[in-house]
Amino acid sequence: MAADKSFNAFEMAQTQFDRVADMLGLDSGTRELLRNPLREYHFSIPVKMDDGSVKVFQGFRVQHNDARGPAKGGIRFHPQETINTVKALSMWMTWKTAVVELPLGGGKGGVICDPHNLSQNELEQICRGWVRQIAPNVGPLSDVPAPDIMTNGQHMIWMLDEYEKIHGGRYPGFITGKPVGMGGSLGRTEATGYGVIYTVREALKKLNLDVAKTSASVQGFGNVAQYAIKLYTEMGGKVVSVACWDQNDQTSYTYKKESGITYDELIKMTDRFGGIDPKKAQAAGYEQLDGDAWLSQDVDILIPAAIENQLTGDTAGNISGQVKVVAEGANGPTTPEADKILSERGIFVIPDFLANAGGVTCSYFEQVQSNMNFFWTLEEVITRLDERMTQSFLDVYELAQRRNLYMRDAAYMISISRVAEACKLRGWV
Amino acid sequence: MTKSKKSFDKLIVSLEERVRELNCMYEVEELLSRPDMTVNAALPEIVKLIPEGMQFPEITEARIQYRTRVYATEGFEEQEGMMTTPIMVNDKEVGDISVIYSEERPPAIHGPFLEEEKRLLETIANRLAYFIMYQKLKMVFSKWESAKEDITSKKQGEWQIVLELLQRTDPDLYIRISRKMLNHLIWTGVDEAERLLQAFSPAPQYQYSDVSGETNTPLTKQIFENSTKISREVFLMAERHLSNTEILSNIQKWMQQDKTAFLVRATSNNDSSLNDIVEALYKYYQIAPDGLQLMPSTRTGVRASLIRRFFSDQLEFINIAKNYVRVNDFYDLVRRVIFPTGSHGKLGGKSAGLFLARRILHRNLKDTPLEAMIKTPRTWHLSSDTLIHFMHFNNLEEILEQKYKSIEEIRQEYPHVVQLFKSSHFPPDIVNGLSVALDDFGERPLIVRSSSLLEDRLGSAFSGKYKSLFLTNQGSKQKRLEALMDAIAEVYASTIGPDPIEYRAERGLLDFHEEMGIMIQEVVGTRVGKYFLPSYAGVAFSNNEFRWSPRIRREDGLIRLVVGLGTRAVDRLADDYPILVAPGQPGLRTNVSITEIVRYSPQKADVLNLENGCFESVELRDLFREAGNDIPGIEQMVSIFEHNNIRKPMGINVDYTREDLVATFDGLISDSPVIKGLGTILRELQKALATPVDIEFASNGKELYLLQCRPQSYSKYDAPSPIPDNLDPGHILFSANRYISNGLVPEITHVVYVNPDKYNEISDLNRLKRVGKAVGKLNKVLPKRKFILMGPGRWGSRGDIKLGVSVTYSDINNTAVLIEIARKKGNYMPDLSFGTHFFQDLVEASIRYLPLYPDNEQVIFKEDFFSNSPNSLSKYLTDYADLDDVLRVIEIDKVFKGQVLKILMNADQEKAVAVVAPPRAANMEMLDANPLFNTDGSAHSVWRQQMAEQIAARLNPARFGVKDIYLAGSSAEKTAQPGSDIDLYIRFKGTDEQRRELESWLEGWSLCLDEINFRRTGFKSGRLLDIHFLKGEEDTSKMKKLLFAVQ
Repeated sequence: MAADKSFNAFEMAQTQFDRVADMLGLDSGTRELLRNPLREYHFSIPVKMDDGSVKVFQGFRVQHNDARGPAKGGIRFHPQETINTVKALSMWMTWKTAVVELPLGGGKGGVICDPHNLSQNELEQICRGWVRQIAPNVGPLSDVPAPDIMTNGQHMIWMLDEYEKIHGGRYPGFITGKPVGMGGSLGRTEATGYGVIYTVREALKKLNLDVAKTSASVQGFGNVAQYAIKLYTEMGGKVVSVACWDQNDQTSYTYKKESGITYDELIKMTDRFGGIDPKKAQAAGYEQLDGDAWLSQDVDILIPAAIENQLTGDTAGNISGQVKVVAEGANGPTTPEADKILSERGIFVIPDFLANAGGVTCSYFEQVQSNMNFFWTLEEVITRLDERMTQSFLDVYELAQRRNLYMRDAAYMISISRVAEACKLRGWV
Repeated sequence: MTKSKKSFDKLIVSLEERVRELNCMYEVEELLSRPDMTVNAALPEIVKLIPEGMQFPEITEARIQYRTRVYATEGFEEQEGMMTTPIMVNDKEVGDISVIYSEERPPAIHGPFLEEEKRLLETIANRLAYFIMYQKLKMVFSKWESAKEDITSKKQGEWQIVLELLQRTDPDLYIRISRKMLNHLIWTGVDEAERLLQAFSPAPQYQYSDVSGETNTPLTKQIFENSTKISREVFLMAERHLSNTEILSNIQKWMQQDKTAFLVRATSNNDSSLNDIVEALYKYYQIAPDGLQLMPSTRTGVRASLIRRFFSDQLEFINIAKNYVRVNDFYDLVRRVIFPTGSHGKLGGKSAGLFLARRILHRNLKDTPLEAMIKTPRTWHLSSDTLIHFMHFNNLEEILEQKYKSIEEIRQEYPHVVQLFKSSHFPPDIVNGLSVALDDFGERPLIVRSSSLLEDRLGSAFSGKYKSLFLTNQGSKQKRLEALMDAIAEVYASTIGPDPIEYRAERGLLDFHEEMGIMIQEVVGTRVGKYFLPSYAGVAFSNNEFRWSPRIRREDGLIRLVVGLGTRAVDRLADDYPILVAPGQPGLRTNVSITEIVRYSPQKADVLNLENGCFESVELRDLFREAGNDIPGIEQMVSIFEHNNIRKPMGINVDYTREDLVATFDGLISDSPVIKGLGTILRELQKALATPVDIEFASNGKELYLLQCRPQSYSKYDAPSPIPDNLDPGHILFSANRYISNGLVPEITHVVYVNPDKYNEISDLNRLKRVGKAVGKLNKVLPKRKFILMGPGRWGSRGDIKLGVSVTYSDINNTAVLIEIARKKGNYMPDLSFGTHFFQDLVEASIRYLPLYPDNEQVIFKEDFFSNSPNSLSKYLTDYADLDDVLRVIEIDKVFKGQVLKILMNADQEKAVAVVAPPRAANMEMLDANPLFNTDGSAHSVWRQQMAEQIAARLNPARFGVKDIYLAGSSAEKTAQPGSDIDLYIRFKGTDEQRRELESWLEGWSLCLDEINFRRTGFKSGRLLDIHFLKGEEDTSKMKKLLFAVQ
């Protein structure tokens, strides 16, 4: 059948796992356990639609592994959600929580629906229906959902409310991604961007470079890039260029200022998506270059923080000889071909799921604060984020040094071995 | 110096004089409009007021005589040089007003009196006359009412009391009514009434008096007495033949008719100028401020006449409007109309549409909270012939011929014409009118809009071809007046701008004598910082042609909402997005994820800058930061974006200048009655006008102002495309019958086809991504808007990209149509995206979206064409040969020599087809045009077909010897154009005599239909029928046989 040949996200995730498992020399039992989710729930959510008819939606929850702590992962609303995608993503969550050594496992869930075809009222019924069906199997101590594609803080509040109705109490730790003031944590906006720079700072230390004497080029000016630039320039670094998408021209441009770009200056000429107004930028003395120009700048650090597949076999050759560090703020910005080139040239790569783990770390902080029902100041959140990111970086770095590994491989190995260890300690395998 | 000083002093004196006169008139008016004022109480007061209005009040004495009563100021005595003005009620003198100067004064125009003083006296006399008449009527009716109550117990003779009363108070009316009674008796067949009629006629007596050489004066008396006698006889006769109730009700009816006869006269007379009509309306209003009812038939007649005179000759319009518009509505309207003396102009389509819409809503939504919320802005109108008046005044007549020049010439000369208009002067009467209008508006910003006779008519939409100009209207009166006149001149000039002329030429409307009314409308809104803007505004359509969810039905409507002036909602925007809402399904939003909501939220607002007088587009972010707290209703317009969450502002503790705000209109959509209300408005208007409508609206944060209402308009390529029946199935590549929007894509040269099966077979993620990348590259190299993208499932999928090709908007932004193919999987039909990943981008760029369901019944999908036509992928992209089996670029020309692909989409029929045809083929030409403007093949064909069927039904085959009758040609094939004839094929089996008879019978039809067609379309061909007699065994299989009526 044609379908057998078609792309399968879960199989791909398994292949990736197998490769690292080989490197780790995992035993077959552990391997078999980690190749598949521990639990998979499928259920129906009947919803009374606004027009009086009843529609039944298919819901999922996959708990890939919870050996290290409660499963953690988002809930996606997607019209053509498939169980394979959800399984793949839940596995990825397991590795992600483990690499920053959070006491959490990995999970993912979703509902097959297209929110574009649903009213707010109907969406609320889906959210509440999802919780009603899975309530016995999730909770602050077993599985903690979060927002994902097409779900947001409002949906989390509905789900939390339904959960609390069922269990008769207040359990803000059941879910994360809540609005601030309703059990949400401060620092969510900053967390990922800051996290990237904490790892950059540590990497520079290891390379014996003074941050204040380095320069960087950034792709993207969304949330991640903005806070990365903010923190990096506060540390004394100089951002020379920023590339961003221009919605009007439907292309991207690089904006360059040799004397250095500041966060405050740039944010004034930016829309909410990191689109920079070309007129304002030129007026402020920025040079407008090609969209690809950001990666060929003579800088010490490249931070791709926009979209995937930016450093490819074709483009990696344009990277300046001065570049010493690539910090992956975006998910999957580097293709395997580019990886090869970077590694040959001895460029230090901070892999995405380590560099941008600030987000999931902050989710964990939200959970902790919710469980304590005591909320931290922004400063406290950021300080703890720094500690966690620094430690995680050092762990991966040390392993890479000790075993002479590429950073990306080291990161995978450290997280998979942590999960495998937990399973063994519990006596599961 | 002295001279100018002198003339200046003179001016001051004369101005002071005018002020005194005005004051005097205001005081009289105020006195008479007190609710309980009677004639007896008013006269002694008025006589005291008169001297105040004169040049020398201290020496003026006045007197009013009314019937037997005399009121005078202390020192009044008759003397030479006394000025007297009669008080006329019903054309009869009932008294007079006189003034004298008690000391001698230098002679002026009327003795010592000025022309202005004379006019003042006349005005007061006139006003007094209305008042007296009104009082008299009121008395008659109240007495009559009480008499009626008195008599109901006695049951008999009530009408006698009314008559007696009438005889005493208004003998003339008494006689007119008796005459009507006589007529009534004759009509009801009373013989003795005939005899009385002879006696009633005063004519012989006049003859007699002429012969005898007597004067007329005593004779009138005689007739009067005679008539009274006869009248009595009439009523005695009536008593014998008719019931009391009938007599009473007739008398009541005739009395009312009589009192309002002048209005009927003024409105029904084609010669009466607008001025006459306005005066009649004023008079009617004086008599019946609270709507003294006209008789129903008269009322409708008067309404229809008024509608015709003020708005439109168009029968469809009058037919609808007469049911909603009240006579007194015109009273309110005419107070704000400016027109030249002797004007026969109209107010134009935009004014008409708005006026009627307001009335429809007022009536159909009566006593609902919605009705209370809907307002229309204060509006002044310039009648359409003011334009001609203006051109005459400036000797610009030759400009009228401009429209017959070549379009290049027009275009070249246009800037010159605009300057010519702008440097011309307005006639003084119009300047005066505009000045009054400005006093009425004060310093409120204004919009000057065209209201052309061609614009916004029922059954057509001449949208946006003429100018609308905003004025901040700030500063000195003179400055404001000049700006206003400048704007009007510019709008006038736009009648002969190249675009409207070209548009009219294309539609055969060039010879239509274009006059243009002007609407001067107060801009809805409030001052916010240095800006003036409505809180929000938008356009709404009763048919939704851009559905983003299959759950949205076409009749759920569509609203485009923006912050600030509605200009941003009317036009498609290149760099911004309005908020889209379907009022029938307000819960189904176009954007769902926070990212989408924020990305597709409006970023700018159009505003009027009151400081520099300019129309500007400002960043919402700046506007909110500067003055967010001053925008009324902002809490319903924005959401707060914070920590990557979005929420509606709640409570009063929100500082709108400090939050990060996103214009979402969430509050308005979910918590206010506005959106549902707009839905109701659209529904009511569509129902009443029997056509889909679009409206413009604006809100000051509290009320909802209706700014415009017209039949739903379509741009050239958004109109429902007629789909001919006779398309060659061999040339159809695909068809669709679900979720169709309107439109025509005329010239597709390339098809980019992503084979759904092959795409599904790809197991390598990178390969899947490569398909998206290749599509993005094709998008850059293929001719813009001349290719279509066809692919499986959901275009723009991210993450799960095997559900659809992974592209961003920039990878598809040059396509003409985005097509999603849903193939059945087992018995499961996958959902399509409806372009939601970049829906609003598609809307603003006019890229069409079409879902295909090839496995459904009754659709065509030429799989073979798409899968097996030569693939030109390698011609356009060099590095993607590996995708050859998945990604196909088909050049239409390669498969069908010299042809292109056209996609015809018709939401009315819920049908779309892609058909191969020669480029710009003659029979397709008509598809390019707006169907509502004479070019809709289907409408013309339907009408022709119906007429042909009528002919067949009325044709007696036995009488004319006809065996069969067929319809063929464009009418049968649904490709008729406005000038097309009707081809009838007749199989004739009769005699020569019968044939002649048949021909002359058909000739009558032919002439008649041609006349009707001319009125419908403006096309005249002489004869509309083209009759062919079938000789032998011609092939009639392709003709439509018309059935004969059952004999």
